[in-house]
Amino acid sequence: MTDGPLIVQSDKTLLLDIDHPLSTECRRAIAPFAELERSPEHIHTYRLTPLGLWNARAAGHDAEQVIDTLIEYSRYAVPHSILIDVAETMSRYGRLRLEADPVYGLILVTTDTAVLEEVIRARKIAPLLGARIDAETIAVLPSQRGAIKQSLLRLGWPAEDFAGYVDGQAHPIDLVQKDWTIRPYQELAAEGFWHGGSGVVVLPCGAGKTIVGAAAMAHAKATTLILVTNTIAARQWREELLHRTTLNEDEIGEYSGAKKEIRPVTIATYQVMTKKKNGVYAHLDLFDTHDWGLIIYDEVHLLPAPIFRFTADIQSRRRLGLTATLVREDGMEGEVFSLIGPKRYDVPWKEIESQGYIAPAECIEVRVNLTDEERLLYATAEPENRYRTCATTRTKRIVAEALVKKHAGEQILVIGQYIDQLDELSETLGVPLIKGDTPIKEREILFNKFRSGEITCLVVSKVANFSIDLPDATIAIQVSGAFGSRQEEAQRLGRILRPKSDGRTAKFYSVISRDTIDQDFAQNRQRFLAEQGYSYKIIDADDVFQGKI
Amino acid sequence: MRSFSDYLRSIDDASFLELFTARPDLITPVPPDISSLSVRACSAPSLARAIDSLNQWQFQVLEAAGTLNEPFSVKSLVALTHKAATSALEHLIAIGLVYPSNDGMRLPSQLRDLIGNEPAGLGPSSMVKLKLADLDNAPADAKKVLERLIWGPPRGSVGDIKNPGPGVAWLLERKFLVPLDQRTVILPREVGLYLRGGKTHKEMFIAAPTLSGVKRDERQVNRAAIANISTVLRWVEELLNFWAEEPADALRAGGLGVRDLKIIATHLGLEESCTAFIVELAYLASLISIDPTNRIMPSNKFDIWLMQTPSDRWQAIASAWLITSRVSGLVGRAEAKNVAALGPELDRVNATRVRALTLSILTENESLSPDSKSFNELLAWRAPVRRNSSSQEELATWTLREAEWLGITGQGAISKYGVRFLNGDELDLINSDLPKTVDHILIQSDNTAIAPGPLEHEISQQLAIMAEIESRGGATVYRFSEATIRRALDHGKTGDEIRSFLKKTSKTPMPQPLEYLITDVAKKHGKLRVGNTSSFIRCEDTSLISQIMLDKKLDILSLRRIAPEVVVCDHDATELVRLLRESGYLPAVESANGLMLMGARANRALTKPRPPRVIGEIEIPSEDSLNSAIRAIRTGEKSTNKQTRLRQVANEALGALPRSTANETMDLVNRFIIEEKSLSIGYADNNGSVTHRIIDPIRVSAGSLIARDHATGEVQSFRIPRITGVAPI
Repeated sequence: MTDGPLIVQSDKTLLLDIDHPLSTECRRAIAPFAELERSPEHIHTYRLTPLGLWNARAAGHDAEQVIDTLIEYSRYAVPHSILIDVAETMSRYGRLRLEADPVYGLILVTTDTAVLEEVIRARKIAPLLGARIDAETIAVLPSQRGAIKQSLLRLGWPAEDFAGYVDGQAHPIDLVQKDWTIRPYQELAAEGFWHGGSGVVVLPCGAGKTIVGAAAMAHAKATTLILVTNTIAARQWREELLHRTTLNEDEIGEYSGAKKEIRPVTIATYQVMTKKKNGVYAHLDLFDTHDWGLIIYDEVHLLPAPIFRFTADIQSRRRLGLTATLVREDGMEGEVFSLIGPKRYDVPWKEIESQGYIAPAECIEVRVNLTDEERLLYATAEPENRYRTCATTRTKRIVAEALVKKHAGEQILVIGQYIDQLDELSETLGVPLIKGDTPIKEREILFNKFRSGEITCLVVSKVANFSIDLPDATIAIQVSGAFGSRQEEAQRLGRILRPKSDGRTAKFYSVISRDTIDQDFAQNRQRFLAEQGYSYKIIDADDVFQGKI
Repeated sequence: MRSFSDYLRSIDDASFLELFTARPDLITPVPPDISSLSVRACSAPSLARAIDSLNQWQFQVLEAAGTLNEPFSVKSLVALTHKAATSALEHLIAIGLVYPSNDGMRLPSQLRDLIGNEPAGLGPSSMVKLKLADLDNAPADAKKVLERLIWGPPRGSVGDIKNPGPGVAWLLERKFLVPLDQRTVILPREVGLYLRGGKTHKEMFIAAPTLSGVKRDERQVNRAAIANISTVLRWVEELLNFWAEEPADALRAGGLGVRDLKIIATHLGLEESCTAFIVELAYLASLISIDPTNRIMPSNKFDIWLMQTPSDRWQAIASAWLITSRVSGLVGRAEAKNVAALGPELDRVNATRVRALTLSILTENESLSPDSKSFNELLAWRAPVRRNSSSQEELATWTLREAEWLGITGQGAISKYGVRFLNGDELDLINSDLPKTVDHILIQSDNTAIAPGPLEHEISQQLAIMAEIESRGGATVYRFSEATIRRALDHGKTGDEIRSFLKKTSKTPMPQPLEYLITDVAKKHGKLRVGNTSSFIRCEDTSLISQIMLDKKLDILSLRRIAPEVVVCDHDATELVRLLRESGYLPAVESANGLMLMGARANRALTKPRPPRVIGEIEIPSEDSLNSAIRAIRTGEKSTNKQTRLRQVANEALGALPRSTANETMDLVNRFIIEEKSLSIGYADNNGSVTHRIIDPIRVSAGSLIARDHATGEVQSFRIPRITGVAPI
């Protein structure tokens, strides 16, 4: 019996004892093939999944290495069935390869004819194929490179894509590190991506994903299309790129609802790309107008379905996905794997926090007792209105106000889902509100005032969930959310994670109505943060009023 | 000395010992004398068992012997096979499949029936002398025909025997083929043997094929095995704890329903096949019992089992598995109908034999994890299949799988625990090798607790109430939630008890959210009260209620006042009304409602466990019992001899019909079949009157003696039970 830091469970989870002297070494060893599921304070849980194992294969690890690692660090004997399963799963990757061919364009090559026979008989795959060349090779319609990868993954025979990439139209881009330097993990992430060709980089909010994007562009030195969630994010990307790279204003274009510029580096929003005109996606040809050398997907976990469909058609271009979490509430992780690419870099939040690159944060759930009247209202509400009823109670507003008062002087964001509630809050607090219909110009003015400290408190709707850089916000108060969405919670926390000039701890309050579904949803959302290692506390609303916290 | 019983009378105790060890069915029960022993040993079922124990080479030698006319010499047998046949023959003699008589080797009667009429694919002997040398010059057409028949089966069909093709005609003419009927011809044995070059078999499988597979590191094997042992013990315990809370219902046809099996599979986080195995294990070890209301519950023995050391617990389940004839691998197989775990359809006659054989192959090949192809080849050599042939490979595969689950093997190779277990040695080292139990957990702020190793029993029991198990294995991950804390409160724990237990057990400080959760749930728990009662009294007038409560005459009702205006009573409403009326009150009855039973209870069956019996195999008796069996037979033999002599004297004096016991009858008949002599028998007709017949016995088949009756001159069959006695003339 060795005394390793790792316990391999029969349900394919790996428990890593992080207080063990070998834990760091072990983490490095298992990170390539096991997906970090949660990382609370003592024991981190990783999971062996087919995607994770295939990611490892894509990164050049073989089953032997994985098995040796498991056995080496395991505290108890590794269940035999798991060893067999790992070997079995990993052997499925790479039996099929997509390659470029001078005659046929794109071919599917196998080392195992039985597998090829199996897949070409699959109903979904047959229409994507061309002529059979020999026993081990079959032509693939070049336009179906993405579709075939998707279908093969679903069959459990993921194909390795060696068909290469087009270079795209060259365009000089370099990083300009005058008043800043790239952080080691950002550099590693960009390099990991570049060597892999295409793929996803997972970094926490506030860890500087934009810079990873810029570094990737500096590697590619080619025209780049950047897809972001909304206009504000587009403008921030533009600012960042102007600041960090050799690009000048004329080289960067914005393609959004407001402007339709196409430049060597173009930043487009998901919204405009998926806008339909007369039943067709009017702007999707943006992908084709230029010979892009690189396409960057910001917040890849939010990628809408039409973009996936289009991404399937541009498999010959390099693709970089950036995200804070691969968790998708819609379970489309497999699509991200087959269409954007395997995970190329990943580091736990806490590790970056401990290196001082993101601010430490404390999460506090404030439980509010509803008044008898509110309880009655909640109990009789229609099922579809129940969440809204309990999420927008007056009592909550009072608590939110008390919290704002308590932290007077600090930079505070009040975040909510329901506009009525936010209107009221904005009014009673005497604080400006940014919501969906706030004009972009006005939004920018308000954000700038907030950054400069001219105003210290903002009420924001879900428009501010993503990619808004508000470095000095230290307090976030969440009064309502999108039901139980875990990634929303992570994004909102991300708003206050930029490192503070004084190294202060950020505070994230969630105001929750006790004994309602609000509490259940809150639990689901917080689970994600607790699993990421953020400590959180539950307090009663009375504690806020009595100033106990 | 020509009959088998004569032979048996001639052998010494050591030979008996060997015979009975190889064929324990011969002394189960102990036969009264040697004649009975001989009859039993020559009976078809016993011979079939003995043949089943042969390996492929031994069987080939037996087949070769079957092609020879009796008596035959060792030399002729070797000529047909290989010089290694002598040692195989010794074994065949030892187990009574061939016996030496004073004129050569013989086979027990009936044995030929079992090997078949065409042993080794050779036809019957030719009736005439053949010029075999002519075969070398056979025309091409004839050669083609011979090619087809040479390795058996020796029969071929022809269009019409009257008008054969040129090849067949050539062969028929020289009697190298013999017509059987209009359309069938057969190749005589001599021709077959000649064409085969004087050997009975194309290939002699003298040596066992070597077993190939993956060599395992011994340390890793034992590590994996001990992990399997600890896992299987955990599975059994969890299964039974689950059924203690929620007993499953047995199907009407017996056994566990598919749905219940799925529920447990999900609970244990296992495949259904493995779950069925665990369920069967618990059943075999008497840990569960099916009570008269068809509920499946842990038996009292489970409590005893839990108190034992891990090695004893393991031994209890592993030994039950080793000897069972039940095959859990069959569960879920759609044969005629769905085969259920714990059901009546799992017994297979050869299960124990195949299991023992599989395990012995593993034991002979230490630190080797055999690959299945090579394993099956060896298995087929060790037990060339004739009976239940289809299932042997399957049974062996299941055995390998189950041995791994049990920890008899680790990573597919036999472990030191398996070796000791199969040898019947002490297993104490399991206790010391099992991972040390841990006495603490680590609680984390995401409301999980992790036990970084097997938990001490007491702690794991407590935790199982307070938290849901999320992940199993070397460690256990528990998750706390409102529902699990509530469950603990339902089990009578208080919030403070839960908190202090967790604080005491956890190595890490208790996270605030969990503490908050416990307090919060405890605060709300029990605000609503639910209870059982049979009847109630309610009254607007609280003073009347008080009066009733104080009324001495109503003490017997043990009334309980649950609110100022409500009293409840465990007595039936009719009874309550009667008593109230007798005491001078004027109650009226309200319409009654059905009441529900609440609360979880750990149930135990009231009935004694009835583990399934073992069928099919007969255990090899100890040397003592073998010796006593031999003594008993010898004594019986002496007295039988005396009886027979006395009866003969009496018979001769009276000139009456021959009388003999059933065993003597068979013994004599068998002997006379071999010696081809006439017999005098008494035979009862349909009306029960006994007639005296003189017959020439030919053979015994299906409970009848086939013999030529001297009176009619015809071959006739005599039902053996109707033969009242036989006597030599």
